[in-house]
Amino acid sequence: MSAREAILARLARARGAGPAPEDADDRIRRHPRGPIPPSGDDPVRRFREQALGLRSDVATVTSLAEVPERVAGYLRERQLPMQAVCWPALMALDWRAAGLDVQARPARGDDAAGITGAFAAITETGTLMLLSGPDTPGTVSLLPETHIAVVERARVVATMEEAWDRLRAEHGSLPRAVTFVSGPSRTADIEQTITLGAHGPYRVFIIVVDDALAAEA
Amino acid sequence: MQVTALQFKRRAAANLHDEKLQRALARLQTKFVDARAAAIAELPDYGSIRDAAAEIRDRVLRDLDGYLRRFEQEATARGAVVHWAESAADVNRIVADIAEQHGVRRIVKAKSMVSEECGLDDALAEAGLEVLETDLGEYILQLAHEPPSHIVAPVVHKSKEDVADLFAAAHHRPRTTEIGGLCREAREVLRPRFLAADMGITGANFLVGETGSVVLVTNEGNGRLCTTLPRVHVAVTGIEKVVATLEDTTTLLRLLPRVATGQSITNYVSLLTGIRREDESDGPEHFHIVLLDNGRSRLLGTELQPMLRCIRCGACMNHCPVYQGIGGHAYGWVYPGPMGAVLTPAFVGLEDTLDLPHASTLCGECAEVCPVKIPLPDLLRHLRQRQVERHLRPWSERAALRAWAWLARHPALYALGARIVARALHLCAGRKGRLRHLLGVSGWTGERDLPAPTGRTFRDLYRARRR
Amino acid sequence: MRVALFVTCLVDLMRPSIGFAALRLLEAAGCEVVVPSTQTCCGQPGYNAGDRAAAAALARKVIGEFDGCDAVVAPSGSCAAMIRVHYPALFDGEPTMRAAAERVAGRTYELTDFLVNVAPLETIPGRYDGTLTYHDSCAGLRELGVQAQPRALLARMPGVVITEMRESTTCCGFGGTFSVKFGDLSAHMADNKCAHIAQTGAAAIVAGDLGCLLNIEGRLRRRGDLHTRVWHIAEVLAGDDGVCR
Repeated sequence: MSAREAILARLARARGAGPAPEDADDRIRRHPRGPIPPSGDDPVRRFREQALGLRSDVATVTSLAEVPERVAGYLRERQLPMQAVCWPALMALDWRAAGLDVQARPARGDDAAGITGAFAAITETGTLMLLSGPDTPGTVSLLPETHIAVVERARVVATMEEAWDRLRAEHGSLPRAVTFVSGPSRTADIEQTITLGAHGPYRVFIIVVDDALAAEA
Repeated sequence: MQVTALQFKRRAAANLHDEKLQRALARLQTKFVDARAAAIAELPDYGSIRDAAAEIRDRVLRDLDGYLRRFEQEATARGAVVHWAESAADVNRIVADIAEQHGVRRIVKAKSMVSEECGLDDALAEAGLEVLETDLGEYILQLAHEPPSHIVAPVVHKSKEDVADLFAAAHHRPRTTEIGGLCREAREVLRPRFLAADMGITGANFLVGETGSVVLVTNEGNGRLCTTLPRVHVAVTGIEKVVATLEDTTTLLRLLPRVATGQSITNYVSLLTGIRREDESDGPEHFHIVLLDNGRSRLLGTELQPMLRCIRCGACMNHCPVYQGIGGHAYGWVYPGPMGAVLTPAFVGLEDTLDLPHASTLCGECAEVCPVKIPLPDLLRHLRQRQVERHLRPWSERAALRAWAWLARHPALYALGARIVARALHLCAGRKGRLRHLLGVSGWTGERDLPAPTGRTFRDLYRARRR
Repeated sequence: MRVALFVTCLVDLMRPSIGFAALRLLEAAGCEVVVPSTQTCCGQPGYNAGDRAAAAALARKVIGEFDGCDAVVAPSGSCAAMIRVHYPALFDGEPTMRAAAERVAGRTYELTDFLVNVAPLETIPGRYDGTLTYHDSCAGLRELGVQAQPRALLARMPGVVITEMRESTTCCGFGGTFSVKFGDLSAHMADNKCAHIAQTGAAAIVAGDLGCLLNIEGRLRRRGDLHTRVWHIAEVLAGDDGVCR
């Protein structure tokens, strides 16, 4: 008997003693939500508050055209290199005019900044939801020291539950990786003292835009 | 990991007098206890979320094989390979085989308590494979050749000077005790290793039955690096980690970071499903999920079943006055504190862990803070009961308890005995009214006086009063 | 209302004044109080040590002695919890005994809880002038929900000033036989409790369980603190009258 059979048999035997289980397939099909805290009225304001609390930086702009200058200003203020990689959907923005060297490709170890979109932004915790895919390489938000995310206002949702429903509606199934990003990477392992910038980015700059991005982010 | 729980008393005594450790443990109050309180105060419906979380876990435990089958089906459909392991040795063998199968030589690893349980790192080293721990705390432990002392904050027992010494010796750079500098140093040293690794090993905080996904809850980014760059990803975890749906996962995620570290959410939550698509530029080509039993299935259907709800948050040990006094190493295995005092005997056996269920006043703080309502004091008492049934308690202890119970059922003799003891203690205490030494209870009088009784029992006084 | 007083073995042996204080308080609340004469111990020591059979045997005795009153009141959260919370399950598989256990359990109360929620004591007989701090004993707090009740009663005493200590709900380290089996650990916890008490500057520390009080007093005195008074809440509420020496 394989380990699998032995373990499952043991579990079935133990279950036999208790009350009849509910139908697992049925629960999965219904996927009911648990209790959800109230989210308040102004989603972008709440998102901003939560994100700032996590030490992300947040800006709101009306149009996509404003984004390159905002990014340039952010990097210049912190005396960071004016170089980045980005997701293909963001290549249409005029980075050159803002003085930025941006290429649409996966990140390498020496890239200074990575610019992504986001599938959704969750106001409950100031969190970005990123989906893996051929046009949304994970390295762009992971390897560089600076992560910049362009979020469409229409994709700001109150809770992770709403994000799941959106994902099911737009994609059907999960991509290989769903990554929820809530601020700069951090560790508190040494004397429980929080230090920002562990193995992931040191800083996260989120720009909420009223416009929609041309391709799906 | 080797079990040394039989040395509990000796270690606990030593740790109580270890000033450096005591200073480190004092951090538990602000960093964990106060932080948790503030974080759950932000949830007005914390009570109902907690009820829901306990039910989410219980529901799966009532049909664990059903949910595991569903998880395996979904994961496999997405290109993952699911392995089943009865024991720690099986896990180690399976992972070594996977490494060999894929021609792996360089392994990076994120934090996994189950892998500690199995002693995976040592086993892989013996198989000639280089495994690098990348979680900062685990990396420090790897340099120090020490086990973790806490399931969430593995080096809570270490000072920044300790870390500075370890880094200076290992990295050949100038020694710094500045915490930001130490973190940056670790980042710089480990980054090239991530980029060069063939395989990433992680644990799994949860397994989602609905989608066949592995959920990783992390802060540092090392979990993402282990699962984005290397071509092979191996996730090792316990069979009890499965959760039914994405929504159930979200409910648990609402609590886990808050009660563990006081965060509303951890920096990164990753749901990993299957393997890289052909047109993707990152992600593993091979994804192996190893499911470990190692005694978990034996708890189902017993009084200890609620222990399987555990989501490894660490709240119980953070609040436990015993853990706060002695730290995690005294418990002698991977899992310390109240949850360890239950799991270690349950997994490893009662005989080798006799003191663990007794090293508690049953105060109940652990149960109060547990986000999934595990009745830890009841479970500890149950383990104590099992020890008695298996005749594992010292003869003298059994005899004393039996004598007490017998005497208490014979009121006249009891009254006589109490009268004698009351008088004797009163006389021995003399004018001071307290005793500094008392035969047979040096555990008390070592560091406390015993206030003396007034010399007459309530029973006698009451009877006298009524005449 | 006919109330049976469960004195507790510790009170009987070590501090009868607590029993008499409880008696006085219950009578002041208008109850007729009986003290079953053959009572000894609730069975907690054996129960917590894992000797379920011994615990059940003592529980049988207690149930027999205390069945038939309107209420059973104990000046101890841990003893009241033993009866109220744990007795019924000791008789799983014995329906008659289980029913009797549930009957007695359902009528068993910790003293302050009884004097606030069942037979309210509006006028407190005792007098206390000064500061005190209150330690929340674990079993009473977490198994019976006793926390507001002692403070409510103390608040009805005009001279009392309560200074809350930090971590008043943290265990003092007594834990019954734990205090002897893991003496150094227990003393460490007691020491922390004493430090928190000292920080309040209160003249007295008050609690509802004698085990805690003996543990705390024992550590206070060994630390060199001879001035902080250590009282059971019943003694504070009842005052000096009605207390036998």
